[in-house]
Amino acid sequence: MNTVIIDGLAFAIPLFIIAIGGIYSERSGVTNLALEGFLGFGAFFGAAAVMVLTGGNLAGIEIPMFFAALAFAMIGGALFAMLHALLCVPFKANQVISGVVINILATALTAFFTSQINTYLLGKPTNKFVLGICERFTVPVISKIPVLGAFFTDVYYFIPIIIVVALFMTYMLYKSRFGLRLRACGDNPHAVDAAGGNVSRTRFIAVMISGALSGLGGICFAYSISSSFSPSIYAGYGFLAIAALIFGNWKIGPTLAACLFFGFARSGGHQLTQTLSLPSAFQDVISILPYVLTLLLLVFFSSTNRAPRALGEIYDKGKR
Amino acid sequence: MDEFIVEMRNITKRFPGIVANDDVSIAVKKGEVFALLGENGAGKSTLMSMLFGMYEPDEGEILVRGEKVKISSPAHATQLNIGMVHQHFKLVENYTITENIVLGQEPRSRFLGFLPAVDIKGSNKKIAELSKRYGLEVDPKKKIEDINVSTRQRVEILKMLYREAEILIFDEPTAVLTPQEIDFLLDIIRGLRDSGKTIILITHKLEEIKKVADRCAVLCRGKLVGVMDVATTSTKTMANMMVGREVSFGIDKNPANFGEEVLRVEKLTVKNQDGLSVVKNVSFSVRKGEIFAIAGVSGNGQTELADAVTGLLNSSGKVFLQGKDISGYDVRQRTLEGISYIPEDRQAVGLVLDFSLEENLALKEYFKEPFCKKGVLHSEAFDEQGERLVKEYDIRSGQGIKTIVRSMSGGNQQKAIIAREIELDSRLMIFVQPTRGLDIGAIENIHKQILALRDAGKAILLISLELDEIIGLADTIGVMYSGEMLNIAPAETLSTNQVGEYMMGVKAV
Repeated sequence: MNTVIIDGLAFAIPLFIIAIGGIYSERSGVTNLALEGFLGFGAFFGAAAVMVLTGGNLAGIEIPMFFAALAFAMIGGALFAMLHALLCVPFKANQVISGVVINILATALTAFFTSQINTYLLGKPTNKFVLGICERFTVPVISKIPVLGAFFTDVYYFIPIIIVVALFMTYMLYKSRFGLRLRACGDNPHAVDAAGGNVSRTRFIAVMISGALSGLGGICFAYSISSSFSPSIYAGYGFLAIAALIFGNWKIGPTLAACLFFGFARSGGHQLTQTLSLPSAFQDVISILPYVLTLLLLVFFSSTNRAPRALGEIYDKGKR
Repeated sequence: MDEFIVEMRNITKRFPGIVANDDVSIAVKKGEVFALLGENGAGKSTLMSMLFGMYEPDEGEILVRGEKVKISSPAHATQLNIGMVHQHFKLVENYTITENIVLGQEPRSRFLGFLPAVDIKGSNKKIAELSKRYGLEVDPKKKIEDINVSTRQRVEILKMLYREAEILIFDEPTAVLTPQEIDFLLDIIRGLRDSGKTIILITHKLEEIKKVADRCAVLCRGKLVGVMDVATTSTKTMANMMVGREVSFGIDKNPANFGEEVLRVEKLTVKNQDGLSVVKNVSFSVRKGEIFAIAGVSGNGQTELADAVTGLLNSSGKVFLQGKDISGYDVRQRTLEGISYIPEDRQAVGLVLDFSLEENLALKEYFKEPFCKKGVLHSEAFDEQGERLVKEYDIRSGQGIKTIVRSMSGGNQQKAIIAREIELDSRLMIFVQPTRGLDIGAIENIHKQILALRDAGKAILLISLELDEIIGLADTIGVMYSGEMLNIAPAETLSTNQVGEYMMGVKAV
């Protein structure tokens, strides 16, 4: 039971911050299928920055380098997201196509640069940056409480960081002036324009924020699931985040619930295969479980869901 | 010179294929209600959009308070204390009234004591005060999606007042309102003028101008025809100037010549989503060569009745077309049996706005020859019919039959629907609010067409909120009140007042 909670949380929380990134972009009216590419490129950028800074030798300075990696991942994600923003906002490209293309581009670019950097630093063209596993901590007393205590046991360092960022992003979306305008852009951009706001700028920034948050989520996956950056980071988590935010009706609270649901379904599935000691072939089938559940639940819930009204609509001042 | 608060000199604006404003000059005095009168597509909205910074004029200059300005954006216009209520409201549906009003100029507060945030509580109070001061009662905490059209308009007005606008532009403000709401709005406009605001009113309705405006500029096809004092000018003169020819207000009608029964509706009942009956047990019949008009205040089940007859809504009861029971037929089957429908909401029900004009003109026949042969569409047939109808019905648009319907004016959109429906050559024609939002010239044409169809032996079911239209056109009048058909009588036996009383639900006359 404890492992289910610990592993579930470690998966759900980074997924959550990626989904918040998606919410920012989509609530501003820009369809974002590029979360997968953002999280991969962000993770690459963070990992690469650490590699270049240390020359590939992390021994002894893992913790400061971990923080550096988070910061660089966010910067890299935001920079890469500018591409999507540029295509969708000033150039008015189709947002779905842009998103798909950016995902493909991210896979190719990061694989290429990883091997180039490795050739230069380590002399061998591997496609992997080995980062190690993020440190964990256990909260003394509270962790002894049955069941609930598991939420405070063996917690990755990045979890509290993400929670703080998520709280700040929630405040920004619902309480701040920027958030008010951003959400209005996704519903009726003409209203924002007539009220003196700048639709293009708001959307551009929203997409960059979505890149930064995806990058943060991506580097956390690299530090937990695979303990390295490699092309295996592109495992569809970005799309799972999109499913979570749609499931959560483009609202942050329900999206957290969806992410936790996915996280626990995933770790629960793993646990199940292990307790039943099934062969690994079955493990693959059981790991599909959360996705199958999603499909079923979407059938029941999708009728009450409502996307932002102007989602995917290219803003054109002249159009009535 | 500075008695004029706004001056627009020699303004010219061109759009692809059309000159929207051709050397137009107007000057508005501070504290007056200045009306811009003109037909649909005469260039009124374009002119005001330039004053509000949405377009820039190709030629000419704009002076505000005697100073020459180049208004580059709505935000800039707001700084110059210019506000505008657009014909299509610009509101965020899932926001509260307050959020919509303060959007763009949000008052600040501190969240958790240090984070800058939007002060919603304070704004709610402020908006409540503002709405009280100007007599525009709204509940600041309600969401836009939950309020009706006239309240939404009030929100738009409050939006301007919140921004301390001195020059208020209203673009066709009454097009979407009921008669009572119109009176209320005109009161508001008078109140605003009395508190020192300058008001520019874009409209094509002469009565409104007579009621509130001080001066009036008439535009016709992009050109300024003249500016006059409303008090000393007759409605007829204004109408003639606007249309550019003599307008007849009366409707000339040939004597009726009824034939056999075409439509018979028996005990029709329609339920809405909540399971309430909005049309209750209605029975009536329409004969060849007869205009059967249904009068009633908006929302008494008339629209639902029309939708049920055409098959858009499910209903219980029977509908017969020339003796044939078509109650179980779907919309296309009914159309093929001979029902034409000019719906109330032309943009949502009547047209596919992002399709071209020629495609819209073939919407009800595209599956038949010559448009479609063995499942393949033939574009020549579309072109041919499009060109013919555009010519016959004088449908004006920027790029001919290839024009996207969304970009056409409301009057021409309506012409397109009417052309398409007449072309079906149906036995029964249903008109719902056929002249809603149209100018005098267009209304006159539509009335003539309806009468011509009647004289050609069509059965016509006319539903309208305009009592004058009903009295003028109808051979037989039925009045609907809260879903029931209260009275059916030959038109000549009823006076306008009697119909009005029935409309208010007074049964005994």
